[in-house]
Amino acid sequence: MRRLSVVFLIGLGVVFSCQEKKEETLFQLMDNEQIGINFENTLTSTDSLNILEYLYFYNGGGVAAGDINNDGLVDLYFAGNQVSNRLYLNKGNFQFEDITKYAGVSGNGGWSTGVTMADVNGDGLLDIYVSQIGNYKGLIGRNRLYINQGNNQFKDQADEYGVDFVGFSTQAVFLDYDRDGDLDLYLLNHSVKSPEVFAQAKQRTIPHELGDKLFNNLISEGQIGFEDVTEASGIYSSILGFGLGVGVADFNDDGWPDIYVSNDFTENDYLYLNQQDGTFKESLENLISSTSRYSMGNDLADLNGDGLPEIFTTDMLPIDPSIWMKSVGEDKQEVYQIKKKFGYSDQYVRNHLQLNQGKEGFSEIALFSGVFASDWSWSPLIFDMDNDGLPDIHITNGIEKRPNDLDFIQYSQQAASTSSMTEIRRKQIEMLPTVKLPNLSYRNQGGLRFKDESKTWGLDQPSYSNGSAYADLDNDGDLDLIINNLNQPPFIYQNHSEKSGNSFVRVNLAAKGKNTLGLGAKVGVYFDGRSIFQQYSGSRGFMSGTSSTLVFGLGKAQAIDSIAVDWPTGEREIFQLDYINQTYILTQGKGKPNLSQRGAKQQVDSFPQIPWEHQEKNTLDETKREYLTPKSFAIMGPALAVGDVNNDGLEDIYVGGAQDQAGSLFIQLPSGEFIKKENSIFDQLAKAEDVVAEFADFDGDGNLDLYVGSAGNEYKSGALFNFDRIFYGNGQGDFQFNPMALPKIGENTSTIAIYDVDADGDLDIFVGSSVVSGDYGASPKSVLLINVGRGIFQDKTKEWFGSDADLGMINSAVWADLNASGKSELLLTGDWQGIRTFEIINSQSLREKKVNGLEFSAGWIQSLAVADVNVDGRLDILTGNLGLNTKLKASVEKPLWLYHGDFDENGQADPLIFHYMGDRLVPFASRDDLIKQIPGIKRKHSSYQDYSELKGPIDLFPEEVLSKSSKHAAYEFRSGAYLQQTDGSFKFDPFPDQAQLSPIFSVSWSQSNKSVLLGGNFTGFRVDLGINTAASFTSWQWATNGWKEATFQNNIPQKSEIRIIKKIKIGEHYYGLAASNSGPIYWIALD
Amino acid sequence: MRTVKFMLFSGILLIAASCAKQVDYSQAITDGQYISEAQNKITEVIIHDIFSPPVAARIYSYASLAAYEVAASVDPNYVSLLGQLNGSEKVVFTPSEKVYPPLASLAAYYYVGTGLIFSEELMNEHRDATYETLKEKGIPEDVFEASIAYGKEVGDVIKAYSSKDNYHQSRSFPKFTVTDKEGTWQPTPPAYMEAIEPHWNKIRTFVLDSASQFKPLPPPAFSTDPESEFFKVAKEVYDVDRASSQEQKEIALFWDCNPYKMNVKGHVMFAEKKITPGGHWMSIAAIASKAADRDWKGTAEALAMTSISLNEAFISCWDEKYRSNVIRPETYINQHIDEQWVPLLQTPPFPEHTSGHSVASAASAYTLAHLFGDEFHIVDSSEVAYGLPIREFDSFSQAAEEAALSRFYGGIHYRPAIEYGITEGRDLAAFIWTKVDTKPKNVASN
Repeated sequence: MRRLSVVFLIGLGVVFSCQEKKEETLFQLMDNEQIGINFENTLTSTDSLNILEYLYFYNGGGVAAGDINNDGLVDLYFAGNQVSNRLYLNKGNFQFEDITKYAGVSGNGGWSTGVTMADVNGDGLLDIYVSQIGNYKGLIGRNRLYINQGNNQFKDQADEYGVDFVGFSTQAVFLDYDRDGDLDLYLLNHSVKSPEVFAQAKQRTIPHELGDKLFNNLISEGQIGFEDVTEASGIYSSILGFGLGVGVADFNDDGWPDIYVSNDFTENDYLYLNQQDGTFKESLENLISSTSRYSMGNDLADLNGDGLPEIFTTDMLPIDPSIWMKSVGEDKQEVYQIKKKFGYSDQYVRNHLQLNQGKEGFSEIALFSGVFASDWSWSPLIFDMDNDGLPDIHITNGIEKRPNDLDFIQYSQQAASTSSMTEIRRKQIEMLPTVKLPNLSYRNQGGLRFKDESKTWGLDQPSYSNGSAYADLDNDGDLDLIINNLNQPPFIYQNHSEKSGNSFVRVNLAAKGKNTLGLGAKVGVYFDGRSIFQQYSGSRGFMSGTSSTLVFGLGKAQAIDSIAVDWPTGEREIFQLDYINQTYILTQGKGKPNLSQRGAKQQVDSFPQIPWEHQEKNTLDETKREYLTPKSFAIMGPALAVGDVNNDGLEDIYVGGAQDQAGSLFIQLPSGEFIKKENSIFDQLAKAEDVVAEFADFDGDGNLDLYVGSAGNEYKSGALFNFDRIFYGNGQGDFQFNPMALPKIGENTSTIAIYDVDADGDLDIFVGSSVVSGDYGASPKSVLLINVGRGIFQDKTKEWFGSDADLGMINSAVWADLNASGKSELLLTGDWQGIRTFEIINSQSLREKKVNGLEFSAGWIQSLAVADVNVDGRLDILTGNLGLNTKLKASVEKPLWLYHGDFDENGQADPLIFHYMGDRLVPFASRDDLIKQIPGIKRKHSSYQDYSELKGPIDLFPEEVLSKSSKHAAYEFRSGAYLQQTDGSFKFDPFPDQAQLSPIFSVSWSQSNKSVLLGGNFTGFRVDLGINTAASFTSWQWATNGWKEATFQNNIPQKSEIRIIKKIKIGEHYYGLAASNSGPIYWIALD
Repeated sequence: MRTVKFMLFSGILLIAASCAKQVDYSQAITDGQYISEAQNKITEVIIHDIFSPPVAARIYSYASLAAYEVAASVDPNYVSLLGQLNGSEKVVFTPSEKVYPPLASLAAYYYVGTGLIFSEELMNEHRDATYETLKEKGIPEDVFEASIAYGKEVGDVIKAYSSKDNYHQSRSFPKFTVTDKEGTWQPTPPAYMEAIEPHWNKIRTFVLDSASQFKPLPPPAFSTDPESEFFKVAKEVYDVDRASSQEQKEIALFWDCNPYKMNVKGHVMFAEKKITPGGHWMSIAAIASKAADRDWKGTAEALAMTSISLNEAFISCWDEKYRSNVIRPETYINQHIDEQWVPLLQTPPFPEHTSGHSVASAASAYTLAHLFGDEFHIVDSSEVAYGLPIREFDSFSQAAEEAALSRFYGGIHYRPAIEYGITEGRDLAAFIWTKVDTKPKNVASN
């Protein structure tokens, strides 16, 4: 009692002194000495063992949480590299006792890495599995399975159980993959083979004794021990794997555990789907578009309450702009292409957040969510840090010797005439820079957006942190945080969510069979009309494990409705419970059967067929010509036109192919089928890359004619195969080509807008062009073609626009009578320019008009549509833009800038994109990329450090050079609607977040449903922007005060790149036709 | 820093002191010591700035040419190269009385050289320190200024000449595109760098009629058939590497001359840089000039002609490299003989045929033999500063042949690229000396 009060007084003292210094934060860093934890992962670099000798020298160790003596208090086990592991018994009240020696779990002097706890032998006691580095450069070790003997004592029985692996293990995870009621083991190992020498990716199928392993627990069969089932299981076990993270979750909600492995270096990550027959099928490339490149740890958990776990992987992209600018970034374009050639998937140096979209796979949204950069990161943990009912993301980071510093890489080594190799190596290690940073704490703000709160939450102590785990150490209903640091005592943070008034429930599971704690069970808590799901895994983050008690923060909820448990053996139960702030023990068999349907609903719709598929063909690599170009213009097709060409009352289709792929005309039959109408002229013109097509009666004979626009950004301006073409229709499905109908322009056509501009009774055409071949940023020649009769056109651009009109880069143009004047205006927009409006003056000229509300509409708008969205009688403008799931950020205050000019006066203009990082306007391109195009920059900035201190363009080029360049801003990257106000001005109303996840290439309005159909995705961005295929199709309906999701049956795969959606009537039904680049034509049922 | 300041300070004191009485400074610069030191510095900066071998040769050429033109303008025993070199025009310089020619020559070297590299401060620091040393030797201020001004005057002519060689434009030429065609060059580990300077044959030559004038014999036809010539030459590289003697290894490492070797250990990467092949031969030219007791003019002549030979060698060689676009032994052997094989030297980032070191060495050796006689004992200490030993040779051609063969021992070239490369280099250097000369009698015959 006396002792307690002393502790109490000291405690008070701490509180008081804290209050004096700073406000009380959500998390409080405990004094390790006071709570009885004296472990520290102290690491000493020596001549024989260091980062040059062992590539993962600084990877640190893990920490696992679990109640090893069933006293209701979660105990902690820390893994050490050069120090003994430590087991601390939780005595309650944040007091711990080191029982390592008594327990017999020191690790026997081995270099320990990962640790996880599970009841391996089904005796109701948690056992401990510790991974170690085996015989390597003086390290002696093997993996340990400490079987809990009760009475706080353990016995290493790895040998007896057949899991005493000797090699390079990172971490193990237990799972019941065959649902036989016991816990099997996936062992994650890493290679040490030179990762810089690329091997063919198919070598991943060649097993190696040091590769990953799958072990089947035989205890349910009545035997003690594990059987190595790697070979038959479909698990890759090759030397390509540099496994740094492994997690288990049921991705596809089929009730069977799946596995995600994050691999460092060139090798892909693996996503193993459980085939329910004892085998796994690696399915990453089917389900995921890109991953982290240097994937480190991972965590799998549901962020949005739909019951499907997301995937978060960490990488090493710096968050501090100055560090970012002097650190290794994405692969250079050419290296990226080589890796693809070797068979590897798209990988980018940044954290990845894969949003689980059900059977469609995952949408990568880290750039949208704001969690893509957290420096040299290890352990991500998804958990509700503030008990507000929304899972947050905590990320540990730091490396004592920073190898990705570009000055170190390029400039550190000095010629040395007389040093020994040991001396040189020692110096090299010494020269590696050291930067200590705080970990990141991303608070879920709702809507899958996150914000770092490490400072406000008291979690911003600088450190080199590796493994981490969460657990409710003081049983107060919130999750405390434990972080294993390198050369610094571990952080033990007490969570003070209990003071916030947020409610919680804690769940312990009691399962049947040998998996006594129900490891692998998925638990859903239903309350306030929503739900939160967690799946119990003893292995999370990096090398670490969380406890078996699941804690659910409930925000301000006062009661829950029920708790659903999907048991690891497949049974599903519901427990009707309502009290909050309780610890529930849910016993298998005591709940009610859960009869709800599992998994995503399968849609079985049959759509009409068009036997055609776009086949993109690019013979020219644009980045070789323009190293700094932000995106490709070679994958803009296909072209699609819909119209009744044979006057039978049925709508027909023209699709224009890529280079060397002929356009095809498909005639609709009364049955709703389509047959191809052969036309040899299409074949003869196959060389042209078709990107836009429209049917209209150009020659005034009452039959539809066809205009086809070509692009491809391959040929120079004026090249023959860039010429657009008109085909005259005879009303019976036949088309005749007239090479004299159009003036010879030959630009990269992007859009055509048809209207009788001069009011002479025939149709004229505005032809927009996107880019000057080989000169991104310059204004290409867009033209106004005046119909001089019988469908013959003349270029009257100068006459109508004036001789000095600069129409900029145009992606989309439409005619629309915005102000109900009876005469349409021309609306056009594109990269780096807002929506511009031109009105017809006296049927003889076009004059640009200032429209209020469109001043800051400039972005990278690809598509425009005009419709009265909100049914107020005024036309509104719909835009398909770049979206928000991108590294490029723009706002009115901090626009993205393009400087286009010949900065080094060598005859070629370069497009330099500047973006704001903090308050500095700095080049988006890396110093290396800039130097490749403008070598003279080296003269101005002799080091990456200098470069990272740039404040603006003026630090890169002298004023006289800058003033000669043309400057363009982008302010708005969200897709959305500019709603016309009563005064004719416009007010922007962006589409919902789900529509901002990918660049929108097609915006179309379906008047009958009052819905907007959005087609997106684009794989043509430069490597440091990355492909974006997060959302191919979404649709939205205007509700009273905003957009709500509209659901239309469709067969569009999530990763397809939709370029154009057009409406078509087949029989009595309306459909949207969605034409994809490098893919077929998909269907959307509109009624 | 403190010593620099001290030197500056004492320098000023000395100058102040020397103002009082006229000192004979005519012996302040006699031999090629200062220009050699300047060249060593520019070599260091070329390495720091990571210039590739062809570009390095270009830098040496214009800097050396500037130094030489000062010499030729003050000594009738030397003939200006301006007017002889492609695209150049004869210029008559009239240095004022005050000009101290060896200083002007050195100034011209610094001036032009510094304009061609990036890290100007590094050069300027060196230059200023040298100038201080020279001022201490009693060169009056007005003489100093006049000399530097004259060096700049000549330097400006060279700069103007250099600006028209298409180098500047070539920075924006399309990057090299790797093809899938069998037998063509592929990027190599560990950096998988893009092939450098694919358009180097568009750089103006100094003397050659065209980049392809000395087109070498083509490589053996590509084949994966073990009986084919191509397979045999590749197997030979593999075998020689596996059985290489200590001496062969030493030779390979001595002549590695890799300006950018990327070392990779897991996540740790760092570039180790050495002098370029051209830098090595420029150093030999300086060593030979000193050994032969050449004065500053003779040294400038040797440097100018060696660098011009090197420049032509790289243009000719690069022309062939991107014509034949041959796969490197590392790639071929990994694909068809031994997947795990790694060459002793890191494979440089450009196609294989012909060997740049072979062409450059043969061309330099020919020119040096022309100036000094082939039989010449060379104590080659060029690589000492880079941690390698001294090697000695009895003739320039012996050194060149060893340099050429080193690429075969190093596992980065097939034998034909070496043999044809030597012929290519020797022939083009011989041609150079039929077209231009530094001595009056030959000019008269032109």
